[in-house]
Amino acid sequence: MADPAAPVRVAACGCITPFGDAAATHTALLRGECALRPVRILGREGGDAVPMALLPGRSLDETTPPEWVAAIRRLHGSIPDGDWGSPGRPVFVTGSNFGVGGLYALRRTGDASFASWSALPTCTERVRAELGWGPDVSIVSHACVSAHLGLLLATRVISERLADDALVLSFDFLSPFVAGGFHALKILNADFPAPYRVRDSGAIGLGDGAGFAVLSRGRGDWTLSCQSLHNEMYHFTSNRSDGSGFARCLEPVAAAARGRRVWFKGHGTGTLEAGQLEVGAAERAFPGAPIVGWKGSLGHTLGSCGIVELAIAIESVRAGRTPGTIGGAGRAMGHSVALESFENGSFDGVVCASNAFGGAHAAFLLCHG
Amino acid sequence: MQRFCCVMVERHIQALVTDDPGAETPAAARERLKRHFPVGATRRMTTLGLMVGNALAELDPGQDDAIVYASAYAESRALESFLDSFPAPSPTLFQTSIHPSAVQQLMIGRQAAVRELMPLSGGPLFAFHALRAAILSPAPRVLLCGGEERGTWLLDHGLASERTFAFAVSLTQERAAGALGRVRLLRANGSGELGLAAWFDVLHRRTQFAELVAPGWRMEIEWL
Repeated sequence: MADPAAPVRVAACGCITPFGDAAATHTALLRGECALRPVRILGREGGDAVPMALLPGRSLDETTPPEWVAAIRRLHGSIPDGDWGSPGRPVFVTGSNFGVGGLYALRRTGDASFASWSALPTCTERVRAELGWGPDVSIVSHACVSAHLGLLLATRVISERLADDALVLSFDFLSPFVAGGFHALKILNADFPAPYRVRDSGAIGLGDGAGFAVLSRGRGDWTLSCQSLHNEMYHFTSNRSDGSGFARCLEPVAAAARGRRVWFKGHGTGTLEAGQLEVGAAERAFPGAPIVGWKGSLGHTLGSCGIVELAIAIESVRAGRTPGTIGGAGRAMGHSVALESFENGSFDGVVCASNAFGGAHAAFLLCHG
Repeated sequence: MQRFCCVMVERHIQALVTDDPGAETPAAARERLKRHFPVGATRRMTTLGLMVGNALAELDPGQDDAIVYASAYAESRALESFLDSFPAPSPTLFQTSIHPSAVQQLMIGRQAAVRELMPLSGGPLFAFHALRAAILSPAPRVLLCGGEERGTWLLDHGLASERTFAFAVSLTQERAAGALGRVRLLRANGSGELGLAAWFDVLHRRTQFAELVAPGWRMEIEWL
């Protein structure tokens, strides 16, 4: 039995991106590789070609069962064995899209078989059955901060001694539904993303991604502390122009990080205003901290980005080197933006931040030991 | 598994708003509820946004409150319309179709920031998961709200709710004057389930409730 007074730690963490697992992804990022390729937003139905990073061999067109189920099975193979979904070991599944590609295919083709992996509860129940979990599987969906919320709930369940361990699984796989939506918003276009770079117009890329974290009382080498949230509720798709939403979320993390030397893993999708606001807030909250963002290579993995990028951050600390900000050319939005990789042995913390629709912000401090 | 057998967590129910419109059409719901929102604010609001927003507004959410939002299928009608808008997808329907949209429709309309918003979906254990999330929040007051809207073609595939309903309940750690009741989660032997619609009925009818709602967990609701 775990020590009930022990802090909550990350006992295991991993991810899958088009480059492979966390180690392979970290290596590719250090090399400056870009997983984004031009892909038509409606798959076989055509449409504009926009930057997307799909898992190798995967098409944007839906299948039954979905092709991404194999990726989830592979990821599951690296999750430590446990009686997941039992009363003492709850699971938190997080994401923004779940099987929404199935809904798109259902509507376009009329083929009812696409219904079986679509919609949040239906998709999660199929994943639960596929992975052999028990019934205690919560579903969290708050767009692109979903993974952060799953980590927060898992931390609280353990902190309040309702469980000894908890598993957070987060995944989002692209489909014409989400590609079409972001294309309609005009931020997904023919341009490739250049996060934290000054340019004439903004652009994002989208990516397939999935990740997990096992949180435990007392076991593990990593702590997540000061998990902070803030919801601006200013506009569905933009932030307050004074950057106060970013600042409000980072304030408690900055207080917790005082006395530490940290680097900042930002959200950095490639949109201009949000990028500038994020860089400004990060530079004020963490003076001198290098700022990096990896969505210029991986694309935005949406609801899973918080946990996918957590796994890469952990791998970076393990390896002693942090990949720089990938994508584009030209002047950085701030002097702290790290465009090149750097040795991180002299740092003793990583601030991990994500943002979402509705001006939602989430951040935490990751420390080793 | 006996490790957690002594666990009990409790919150006080300070206020409750429920809306059970039966077979009311979306147009009728809009007509009924629009007077609760500023003129012009309801034009792009969904049925679920109007209903959840109205229930939540009654509790006057503030920035220090935590909001837990529970809906299995959320914006079914916006989702259906967005899918029908292809191959020229609507940006408005895309942003409206995201899971926490109902709460955001109210709060963005009010320009009212909130630190914590926890949007959940769920299945047979949804009442347990939503209440557990609410009870675990350290905020002095947690507003647990939720609901569903009846789908159309998604319902034909079992991918939307059959019922339309909404609720909002104010939960506090300290009992204040005028409290309506209290709710507890306790470790227990055995197993049970309680989905969102069934839990809504318990709240709406203010039923005294003491049953297993998940493997190893019992929920008790005592109305004063």
